[in-house]
Amino acid sequence: MALLLISLLLVPAIIAQDTNSWNDSHSLAWEYDFETGYISTTPLFADEQIIVRTSGNSEPAVTAFDTNGKKTWQHLNPSSTSNDMSPLFHVQAGQGECGAWPEMVLVGWTNGLIEALKPSDGEVFWSIQTEVIGWGVTGQFALDGEFVVVPTRQGIGQYCLADGQQQWWTQTGLGWRNGVAVDNTGYFVGDEAGQLWHINRTGAATSHALQLGKIRHPPLLTNAGIILHTQQDSRGTIAVVHSSDGRVLQQFSTGLSPAIPSLRGDYVVTGDSSAIRLLLCTNECEIIDEVPFHTNGEIGWMDNGTILAPSNTPNSAWGLFTFDAYENLTFESLEVGIQGYGTAAPLQYLVGGTTFTAFGNDQSLLRVYSDLDLSESLSNNEFDWGVQGLIFAMFLLIGSSTVSLLNGKFDWFLRTSSLLFLIILLLIIPDLSMQWSQAFDEKFPATSPSEEWNEQWPDTWLGTQIVIFEFDGEEHTAGGFVGHDTVFSLTLTACDELGFELSSESTEIGVYVNSIAGVESNGWEFTVDDSKGIVSADQSIVESTSIIRWYLA
Amino acid sequence: MFQSMGVHGPALSPLASLLLDVVLLGCAFWLLAKPTKRPIIDSLFLMSLVLSVSLLRVVMQPIPNVQPVTVAALLVGAQLGARRGAAFAVLVAMTSNFFIGDGWWTLFQAAGWASIAFAGSRLSLVTTSGLNLRRACVASLIAAFWFDLVVSFSILDGTISITEFITYLGHGLPFDFLHMAGNFTFVVWMGNWFSGLLEEEPTLDEIEFAAVNGHGIDG
Repeated sequence: MALLLISLLLVPAIIAQDTNSWNDSHSLAWEYDFETGYISTTPLFADEQIIVRTSGNSEPAVTAFDTNGKKTWQHLNPSSTSNDMSPLFHVQAGQGECGAWPEMVLVGWTNGLIEALKPSDGEVFWSIQTEVIGWGVTGQFALDGEFVVVPTRQGIGQYCLADGQQQWWTQTGLGWRNGVAVDNTGYFVGDEAGQLWHINRTGAATSHALQLGKIRHPPLLTNAGIILHTQQDSRGTIAVVHSSDGRVLQQFSTGLSPAIPSLRGDYVVTGDSSAIRLLLCTNECEIIDEVPFHTNGEIGWMDNGTILAPSNTPNSAWGLFTFDAYENLTFESLEVGIQGYGTAAPLQYLVGGTTFTAFGNDQSLLRVYSDLDLSESLSNNEFDWGVQGLIFAMFLLIGSSTVSLLNGKFDWFLRTSSLLFLIILLLIIPDLSMQWSQAFDEKFPATSPSEEWNEQWPDTWLGTQIVIFEFDGEEHTAGGFVGHDTVFSLTLTACDELGFELSSESTEIGVYVNSIAGVESNGWEFTVDDSKGIVSADQSIVESTSIIRWYLA
Repeated sequence: MFQSMGVHGPALSPLASLLLDVVLLGCAFWLLAKPTKRPIIDSLFLMSLVLSVSLLRVVMQPIPNVQPVTVAALLVGAQLGARRGAAFAVLVAMTSNFFIGDGWWTLFQAAGWASIAFAGSRLSLVTTSGLNLRRACVASLIAAFWFDLVVSFSILDGTISITEFITYLGHGLPFDFLHMAGNFTFVVWMGNWFSGLLEEEPTLDEIEFAAVNGHGIDG
């Protein structure tokens, strides 16, 4: 026992050598506070500018900054009222049979508009309107020679880069975050019904019903087959699918709410609410390693081969994953000074030999870090008295426990070790309870009656997420939302849409909603699909068609 | 078993709250009304104990589910008996919830701590040589689970199914362990001291009464 305690005493010393290595070698270069709106997709670096899209507020926008963080232009689209999840798409200047085009940033909006902006000044080079069925464009574009291939809400279209002229458009299934992949036979896209579509270059479509859940990312094309990370009600599945006949070749069960998987060479990285996984896909795919982490949006490969992913949790630290020579993933938590939910992968860009990394999430704050010389980083280190004091106290308790045990003072051993255990438990309880709740929900999924559809609601809300607020004897309803994983995230969006102010506080056991629309009373409670919420709103998982009802306690 | 966010149990009207407080206060006074009259100093001591532990609970409120009252109720029950232990539990629940937040759950907290005080009085935690630390530690661990379970019943307002209730209990398990760890720490650090503080010294009247009685028997 004494040896164990002595070993424990030494563990922090070993860990201390490696902790915060990224934070030690990077410093904040500049930041910009948009004040409202979400940064839901990765920023873009084009024409020596950092271009960022924000949405979910009254002024959805694409905003450009120079490398010193000065705003250079902003392009608004107030008609795009939902969360814009389609990543900005960079196109280099070129020419083809339908004409020439300059360097452009293509923007897909949830009101169906597609715009080609010049990165130098944000001027619209061309724009086209596509279909809107509740939502418009939410998926990732793909480039195919002189054409851009765009996934619309219920189809896929090919457009000329020079003038935005539509070459053809083909109907597929209802899609969300339905990015496109291109190979030499044509295009692949998935839909909400779990169908994988293949569309050839003339627009002829065939589909394969995989029955594995929703496909909400661009399919990844590997030597082993097409990689999909599908979303079911209570879990996810990584599937390897034959590209010609749609046969499912391999399946791996995963956690809830898959992120957008990312491919580099033969390596695929996937994420969900439980873990980040690294797969090697040569002739077939195998999971090489996995690390517990909660991510549901984009995952970014950095130039040095590391992986950066936003944690989609209230305390929102970004995860840095390093893949070592022994095929192990190591995880480091990055503190970049932004708290809150996040789905946007960081952007890495190079200016004058210095690498910059831009972070943004639902807190509408963009923070750009630059890498540093180690000597500079050491001089910038700030001494955190609170943290150091706690570490010192814990060392003292470990030491006291050891000495007490060695001297046979069992009562003092009990005192010091129990206090140490209590402190450790208090430090880990927020994460522990969240992981436990998620694991519990996955193991014992709730089966409950659904809240009834109201015939007065618009048809465009069918199959989407809906939020109802009950107060003052009235119901205030907002719907048509997709992609939210938690009651809290969905509620924030609904409040934005209805113009309600939501006041909440973060506690050790989750977010507590104090007031909605200025109404406080005895507190707020909620149901998810007519089933009473039994954990905090930020820990309550919602499905893609959930109906949330908030009412006064 | 922890009282999670978003679930408060039924909301009480002002009249219902008043009735609840009256019932709880009535219970406390009934429990304190002993067949034999006790000196005023005893009542003052118990009141100061109630205020101190209530204050401790209010101050420790930001720390999730670390409940000093559970161990205090256990030891008060062990030293002062079931009646005064239960009265102590009811009064602490009422006093501290006056600051933290009063409601339907106060009834369940009072019941939980009162039952723990009752258990404390029956478990022989205190012997002639003082507090039996091992027994007190085990009792404090069980008391944490028991209290959390009793308080969890406060969410049963007719809208929660058994399955949902079990799910609710399952979600709270990490906080139950935290309560256990907190109780254990309180017992090993302050159990002996607190138990000694509560130990009843015989008054001069009682010593004289015992001595006279002894002589009478001897004679």
